[in-house]
Amino acid sequence: MTKTNIIGVYEDEDQIVEAIHQIQDKGIKIKDVFTPIPLHGVFEALKLETRLPYATFLYGVVGTSITFAFLYWTSVVSYPLKFGGKPLNSLSFIIIMFVATILIATFLTFMTFFIRQKLYPGKESTVLDPRATDDKFIIVIDKEDDMTTKDLDHIKTALKDSGASEVNEVEEEINTKE
Amino acid sequence: MDQKLVIPSKFKMASYALMVIGVVAFIYAFATHPERGWANLLINNYYFVALAIGATFFGALQYITQSGWSSGFVRIHQGIANFFPILLILMIPLLFGIHSIYHWSHHDAVAHDPILQHKEPYLNTPFFIIRFAIYFAVWIGLTQLLRKLSFKEDLEGGLRYFEKSEFYSKVYIFSLALTFSMATFDWIMSIDAHWFSTIFAIRNFAMGFQHAVVLITLVTIILNKMGYLPFLNKYHLKDFSKYIFILSIIWGYTWFSQYILIWYANIPEETIYYVPRTQGEFTPLFYTELAVNWLFPFLALMSGKVSTNKNALLIITSILLIGQYVDVYMQVTVGTLHHLNIGFIEIGGFLGFVGLFAYVLAWSLSRKPLVAKNHPLLNECMEHHP
Repeated sequence: MTKTNIIGVYEDEDQIVEAIHQIQDKGIKIKDVFTPIPLHGVFEALKLETRLPYATFLYGVVGTSITFAFLYWTSVVSYPLKFGGKPLNSLSFIIIMFVATILIATFLTFMTFFIRQKLYPGKESTVLDPRATDDKFIIVIDKEDDMTTKDLDHIKTALKDSGASEVNEVEEEINTKE
Repeated sequence: MDQKLVIPSKFKMASYALMVIGVVAFIYAFATHPERGWANLLINNYYFVALAIGATFFGALQYITQSGWSSGFVRIHQGIANFFPILLILMIPLLFGIHSIYHWSHHDAVAHDPILQHKEPYLNTPFFIIRFAIYFAVWIGLTQLLRKLSFKEDLEGGLRYFEKSEFYSKVYIFSLALTFSMATFDWIMSIDAHWFSTIFAIRNFAMGFQHAVVLITLVTIILNKMGYLPFLNKYHLKDFSKYIFILSIIWGYTWFSQYILIWYANIPEETIYYVPRTQGEFTPLFYTELAVNWLFPFLALMSGKVSTNKNALLIITSILLIGQYVDVYMQVTVGTLHHLNIGFIEIGGFLGFVGLFAYVLAWSLSRKPLVAKNHPLLNECMEHHP
């Protein structure tokens, strides 16, 4: 199955954030932006939001609790062994809890990110315009089936007006199994 | 651009009032409980030494890393650098109180004490005074030089003064490592002269650095609320919050490193330091110190909304500044007074110092334009984004 996108190709990085605002002001929804380098301000301009930090915090809390429970079980419940006159439920747990919390929180955060983004090693990425990996900056807008020619013209002029050097329609392969 | 701070008359009156309270508190202390007076003088002086060291270190760090985001706020840490001359004047009386604070300064005590005899080549009164003079000479000399270079840059522009500042910042950081470590050993660690900890200076440096950034953040937000520094945006606040957040972790890390090694090794002459702190009347303060300086900012600044909110940051930074007082209070009082006393002498003395240094900072900010207009990286600060 294929899906058609309208893309605007820009020559300069300084145009992008301004262009995003101009297009959004005309009531057009931007699907995505591809740039060869990370650009400041694009994330804010697209009004993207992420809940990933909350997940990380949750994983951190869970990681601390699980590690403490494990240490408590091993050294107090299952195999209590006195050494150095230290209490069984001891302060030295903290170091392991600290390290294990970081491990669990980062690992699970990455797993969450990969699963939500449907990323995996060896996945083939969809490149709408190969020049976006070299020296061009592109803004992608969805071409929906019920769009009239008038709507399309409106989108294309908006892209042109905001400084796009070319406006193209590009087909994208969509794997329905995913 | 050339706007200078105009000190509101209300602020002047408030700081004068606080100073009067401080003077009364200290007169009352020396008339009735001289040993509490001396300990308080040390607590308050060290509190502001640590802040001034941390703030000037922050400034030097911005120069050597050529950071642009903070270039609009250079006047604030340069103003805090003016604490040093005042602290010198306030610390000279402390030299007359050596006998009340430091056990090692008594000749008859040293004569019967092999450990103190062993430490005598370093811990003796004449050398103590010489080192005292060297520390302040280095701090005042280098920080005033950096101030002067920045003011010249304001007038003439160009990269020449920036490069010079960068070079002297390196010199300052290097000399700071030595002088502040030794000053901490001299003034704070030698209270418990039998005891030592090699991480002590780093732990106190982390404390000073953390709370200095807290102070800079607080002053920046207050100035912004008064209508100065209009370019302050949420990304600046976020960067300040990141600084406070990570430094609170570093402080907690060094605090815990010192504690767990002593706890784990369990050698009597080391453990004795923590016995009065963790058992008895100081216990609540011991946990307050940890909770306020580490746990509180760690949890509070985690949220992006809180860390970019001016009012929330005002509250958090104010609480953290009290946190440092608890920290320094614990380090000094347990070894000198052995009992928990918090009354008019402590609170009044601290308020007096706060009034004085708030006035010094405001005065310094009112002397020169608030923004270093010829700082080569200033545009990066004006247009700061993530």
